[in-house]
Amino acid sequence: MKKIVALVLALTLCMALAVTACADASVYYLNFKPEQDTQWQELAKVYTEQTGVPVTVVTAASGEYETTLMSEIEKSDAPTLFQVNGPVGLANWTDYCYDLSGTALMEHLTNESFALKEGDVVKGIAYVVETYGIIANTKLLEKAGYTAADITNFESLKKVAEDIQARKDELGIDGAFTSAGMDGSSDWRFKTHLANMPIYYEYKADGITSTGAIKGTYLDNYKAIWDLYINNATCEPALLASKTGNDAVAEFVGEKAVFYQNGTWAWNDISALGAENLTMIPIYIGVEGEENQGLCTGTENYWCVNAEADQEDIDATLAFLEWVITSDEGRKSMSQDMGFVVPFDTFTGEYASTNPLVAVDTEMTAAGKTPISWNFTTMPSEEWKNGVGSALTAYAAGTGDWDGVVTAFVDGWKTEYDLTH
Amino acid sequence: MEKAIRKYWPAFLLPTLAAFIIGFIWPFVWGLYLSFHKFTTVSKTTFVGLSNYVKVFEDPTFVSAFWFTAKFTVVSTILINIIAFLLALALTRGLRGTNVYRTVFFLPNLIGGIVLGYIWQILLNGILTNLGLPLLALDARYGFWGLIILMCWQQIGYMMIIYIAGLQNVPGDLLEAASIDGATSLQTLIKVKLPMVMPSITICTFLTLTNSFKLFDQNLALTGGEPAKASQMLALNIYDTFYARSGPQWKGIGQAKSVVFCLLVIVIALVQLHFTRRKEVQQ
Amino acid sequence: MTKAKVYHDGAVSGARRAVDAFLSILLTALSLIWIYPVVLILLNSLKAETAISTTSVFELPTSETFVGLDNYIHGVTQMNFLSSFGYSVVITVTSVLLIILCCSMCAWYITRVNTLPSRLMYLLCAFSMVVPFQMVMFTLSKTADSLSLNTPFNICIIYLGFGAGLAVFMFTGFMKSVPLAIEEAAMIDGCNPLQIFFRVVFPILKPTAISTAILETMWVWNDYLLPTLVLDIKKYRTIPMAIQYFRGSYGRVEMGPMMACIMITVIPIIIMYLACQKYIIEGVVAGAVKG
Repeated sequence: MKKIVALVLALTLCMALAVTACADASVYYLNFKPEQDTQWQELAKVYTEQTGVPVTVVTAASGEYETTLMSEIEKSDAPTLFQVNGPVGLANWTDYCYDLSGTALMEHLTNESFALKEGDVVKGIAYVVETYGIIANTKLLEKAGYTAADITNFESLKKVAEDIQARKDELGIDGAFTSAGMDGSSDWRFKTHLANMPIYYEYKADGITSTGAIKGTYLDNYKAIWDLYINNATCEPALLASKTGNDAVAEFVGEKAVFYQNGTWAWNDISALGAENLTMIPIYIGVEGEENQGLCTGTENYWCVNAEADQEDIDATLAFLEWVITSDEGRKSMSQDMGFVVPFDTFTGEYASTNPLVAVDTEMTAAGKTPISWNFTTMPSEEWKNGVGSALTAYAAGTGDWDGVVTAFVDGWKTEYDLTH
Repeated sequence: MEKAIRKYWPAFLLPTLAAFIIGFIWPFVWGLYLSFHKFTTVSKTTFVGLSNYVKVFEDPTFVSAFWFTAKFTVVSTILINIIAFLLALALTRGLRGTNVYRTVFFLPNLIGGIVLGYIWQILLNGILTNLGLPLLALDARYGFWGLIILMCWQQIGYMMIIYIAGLQNVPGDLLEAASIDGATSLQTLIKVKLPMVMPSITICTFLTLTNSFKLFDQNLALTGGEPAKASQMLALNIYDTFYARSGPQWKGIGQAKSVVFCLLVIVIALVQLHFTRRKEVQQ
Repeated sequence: MTKAKVYHDGAVSGARRAVDAFLSILLTALSLIWIYPVVLILLNSLKAETAISTTSVFELPTSETFVGLDNYIHGVTQMNFLSSFGYSVVITVTSVLLIILCCSMCAWYITRVNTLPSRLMYLLCAFSMVVPFQMVMFTLSKTADSLSLNTPFNICIIYLGFGAGLAVFMFTGFMKSVPLAIEEAAMIDGCNPLQIFFRVVFPILKPTAISTAILETMWVWNDYLLPTLVLDIKKYRTIPMAIQYFRGSYGRVEMGPMMACIMITVIPIIIMYLACQKYIIEGVVAGAVKG
């Protein structure tokens, strides 16, 4: 009898182990963008109410998407829907990507170039197109006696910026450009987005779309624009390293700076200034013929469906995605609540984006400017970006010279490329 | 008696043993096994012999993380123990308000590493910005000292409590004898108190050594290893290898790193055990 | 303490009084520095989002920037912080109770039964205290996942397994000094080992149990990596995990609500600490002596 009592104790423990989840079709989306977490959660709830299919949305903490995906994908209840940032990201996850060709997503996609392909296999499909450039406060520009139309190339950008910087006290501002924010909070604006410019022009000149060894043909132009940014900012170049991304936003919203390099996603942060006072100008770096250059438009957000998931979960995920891009609720949420420009043909009329910064891009493209593509998705690794970022910071602070940036850019590219290939 | 108890092993031993196997023994053995393999998912592993271990030492981030950790461990161990001991001395003099001081100094110890990390990130970045210096995440030197300050703030109170207990165990008549013999307070400290609290010193040294060496949460929250992994410690480096680097080779290397890390900690523990044993013989 | 004090009081002199005065000032200053970080967070948690930047973090809230409890409300409602709080409580309470119960029983068995398995168990427990979590991190999360130990209730089994080392070690350290006589007397009275343990042994163990419980609570409550890797993050987040999630993408950190949540985390700890300070400090000392 006593033995039984003893065994019961041990058994209780084993009981706890034996609980297993039942396996109905469900969707598990590991979302990349924390800003849109709430909207996805709501959308998931609506879908579950309508169809009874459970949809779970988990958003990874900033900078931890890869780590979260890596630990989650190994679990028995792995994400059925995740995302990669482009060809480089895809290389690591390609085994997990379900072929999306022939799905509703593919049918509605407006442009084939928004699909991430390996041969004929569609591995990922972009769901948001974004644009970045130099966001300018037109009210302050006018106060200084300029309009956005005066800036048509690097030379005129430099002239305007330096003139504004020289008269900053008179204009009641702290500088032409916001501070850089070289910590993890916003260093991607320079080590990734700004670095896209020399890469774009090099690829264009060489007629390639990716490379294992970058030559750095346009690094002098990269230096020119970086010098312009740091020498005409709200603080001394050496002090840039003590600023964060939050500081840059605060300076721009507080009308202490005229120019702020960022993209359409930043709209919510700066909308307080009013759409009529804001515009976006292309990032000119002094390349021949750049007068015709537009804004940088592209995507680094591709949906991928987990090929290792159960077929019924895959089907449920595809059905959910179709609903998101075709139903009224889904379209409204993505275009208006999340503020995305969505590359599917179902997003027309009232479902076109209302983001004023997006409108600037549409106008420019209509006026015949050539958009700059996002080539930073071909950067060899995060390590490379960090190397360039550190070198840029050191250069600004005066603790390193420009050669350091060149080394990180050119040699670092080769090292990191060889490591992953 | 012993026989009677032995019959009841399913009740007394089994629950802990079962959980121990699940939570420790099996993962440990499995981890050891995986460190000799290349794998992305655990169902598909290829035996690669010692090549993971070779790669561990070829990985510059691991080597630099090791030196960063070693430097951090030495500096923090020395600082924490000296300050904690001095505080303990001050708090055993029977000053008014001793209890209040003790309460305050011990408090940070109860706050978790992640929370502590963010508190100090906000504070230290504020100070650095106002001085016009680079942020914690941009200069590894500030990252290093930031971690030291944070670690001191958290650990000094804990060690102080142990030293106070040690000092209170110094017999009063010994001190009296010393004072009758005309010893100055400094002599009393070195000749009488220090030898008597030697066990506390060994324990505190060991605790700070292992705590510093195994530090993870604070490192993650305060600097995240920035800039470019220059302030990354071993535990974070291992985590990074497992979960932030994608590619089939990294998991095996990560597991090999953990084994190396584990061996390092065991060596520290054995050295510590050796010293404690020697002390016990002497007394 | 008392003996040392008598000695000190007897030797009070002018010089000593001066030193004491100096020390008092020094210690007071140091105490203020010690609590300043927490005060700083408290002050900033009451400020508007726009008034918190690295440059303005030291400014006191003014009538313009003071927002009262807005950040707290925002943090609690939007981040679902209360549920994190609840999960943390559930995990900590179940884990610590389980550890105390199972490990004290296990420790008694180990000290009273001198067989190879029990000696082996003791050695393994001591060994497990040394092994860093990173060693088993990956395989443990796989194991936990395949055994469905990824809920706030089941995770206590992992904590029991991983926390057993310290607890068994502390209990055996104390048990060795408990005389066998009482237990043998109970045996003769016809008690079986379970009755002996719960009626006789466990009450004696109570001080050690409290110390162990405190050390384990401090560990489980603040643990970040284990729950992050083991828990089903689709449904459950503990407090440290929630704090970590506060960092928005593209570097926008919602500083106000984050500081509010830090305060919500810290305040109960301070209250609990002030209430059971005596036990906590005894626990620390006991842990140091045994460990």
